[in-house]
Amino acid sequence: MGLAKPQHIALLFAAVLAGCPPGRPGKHTLSIKGSDTLVQVATGWAERYAVVEPRVAVDASGGGSGVGLAGLIEGTVDVATSSREIKPREREAIRQGRGLEVHELFVGSDALAIFVHRDNPLTALSLFQLGELWAEDGTLTDWSQLTPALRGKVVLIGRQNSSGTYDYFREVVCGVGADGHGREFRGGVSELSGSSEVLEKIAGAPLALGYSGMGYRTDRVKWLGVSGKPGEAAVLPSAEGARTGDYPIARKLYVYTAGEPTPQLRAFLAWVSSDEGQEIVAREGYVPVR
Amino acid sequence: MNLSRARIGERLIEAFIFLSGWSAIFGMAAITLFLLREAAPVVPRIDWHEFFTSTRWIPAPARGNEPHYGALALIVGTLTTTLVAMLVAVPTGLAAAVYISEFAGRRAREFFKVTIELLAAVPSVVWGFIGLMLVGPVVSEVTGAPLGTNLLTGGLVLGLMSAPVIVSIAEDALRAVPDSYREAALALGASRWELVHRVLFPAARNGLLAACLLGLGRAVGETMAVLLATGHANQIPHSLVDPVRTLTAAIAAELGEAPRGGDHYRALFVLGVVLLVFTFALNLAAELVVKGVRRRGRS
Repeated sequence: MGLAKPQHIALLFAAVLAGCPPGRPGKHTLSIKGSDTLVQVATGWAERYAVVEPRVAVDASGGGSGVGLAGLIEGTVDVATSSREIKPREREAIRQGRGLEVHELFVGSDALAIFVHRDNPLTALSLFQLGELWAEDGTLTDWSQLTPALRGKVVLIGRQNSSGTYDYFREVVCGVGADGHGREFRGGVSELSGSSEVLEKIAGAPLALGYSGMGYRTDRVKWLGVSGKPGEAAVLPSAEGARTGDYPIARKLYVYTAGEPTPQLRAFLAWVSSDEGQEIVAREGYVPVR
Repeated sequence: MNLSRARIGERLIEAFIFLSGWSAIFGMAAITLFLLREAAPVVPRIDWHEFFTSTRWIPAPARGNEPHYGALALIVGTLTTTLVAMLVAVPTGLAAAVYISEFAGRRAREFFKVTIELLAAVPSVVWGFIGLMLVGPVVSEVTGAPLGTNLLTGGLVLGLMSAPVIVSIAEDALRAVPDSYREAALALGASRWELVHRVLFPAARNGLLAACLLGLGRAVGETMAVLLATGHANQIPHSLVDPVRTLTAAIAAELGEAPRGGDHYRALFVLGVVLLVFTFALNLAAELVVKGVRRRGRS
């Protein structure tokens, strides 16, 4: 039985208090944190940028758009990635708390796909039907209301309320109710912490219906076409559809910084918008800016 | 010279033990104060009727809406998963403790004790994966549940986690009953079942209750495993295989995102206070039960 030596614990504490291990002199670290939708992109950027600019280390992590922006508010991250536009109160919190202005950079678009089990006979839904499925006061709860070929309660799989995907999906799909207020999600949705977790769960549950970025598609699930209005033709998620806006559940992806960027940060942001940076956005299933 | 050195050593040890004893009280007070301080500012802004009677937990509302903090489903989620866990862990845990203490041979006992202590040390996130990957699919296969992660899966995993704690402490409690009790009972012609049921259980009841309570404490406070295994759905379960969300899972999932000092952040601390009150009430109840049993035993 080896107990940890007190010196080791003290060292651990020191490391935690310092926030990060002492870097090599001359090595600049940029921390980038936020959207889980963008975490693969951010990690991709970090890996490639280490080759492009060896003097700068990029430290990328996820957690949700809200987590990244909270980090920007607290000053613990340099770059916040977000799959939604920054909220006015978050912008205000940075202005008041740190005295800094927020800068926004548009880095790509994302189409949210509606996923079902591979054996599900359904091929398309309208935005209206999705709203009735997901909203608190919605009327659709059973598969038999959508297709005669399937019976049983629709098992809804979503993201947890820290994710930008959750926010965006609610805004587009639940929309606004008769009273003029945004409709909330119904209770009983399994809220999972990661995009791939959603796909994993749907793959194993024949009655499941969930949403996730189209970049996360696996061959163990299938996605549905979505029509903007009942009667309109349904559109399958695609890069082209997301860019042109033909696919109705697509959004823009951003990175946010606070205040005047350091030279290292400015160079990194320029590189993100370059062909090389955008190639990584495309590689992860999203639609590049150009 | 030697004597005085020994005396100084003794003093130091005494002081150390004294401080260690009090540190538990200090720690408890500090935790309570911290929780209350973080939760306090939101207290006047929370609709307490809604908090305890509504299932609408909407801390990050849609644009233009007010947040809602209805924690009923979270409270029910914690209570139901804990109940399922205890239904699994208490009978199996006590039975295993009786077997190890009274029926197993010496070598078998050593083997079991080591194994069970190892089992008690398995990290909770590993239990979560076991729930997600092994228990969940079996539960959905057997019950036909649409999702493998639900109340039953969460309860089973928590039960499996709590059982080793219960076995380990209950076994110690049974071992602590003097052998003269056993000899006397057997001499009076008691069967082994009668010995366990009529002599050992009453004699070791405080220790057994403590074992169950520590198991219960582990189940109520467990976070990672339930986060992964319960399905994390904010609703009051209507069946054993409905997904649920517990207080601990809600705190773990949302605290990272909630901006420090905001209402949502503080509301999560209110959940923490509720959890603390639960465990406190449980311990108090158990204390009273033990005292009651003792008093009745004496008269």
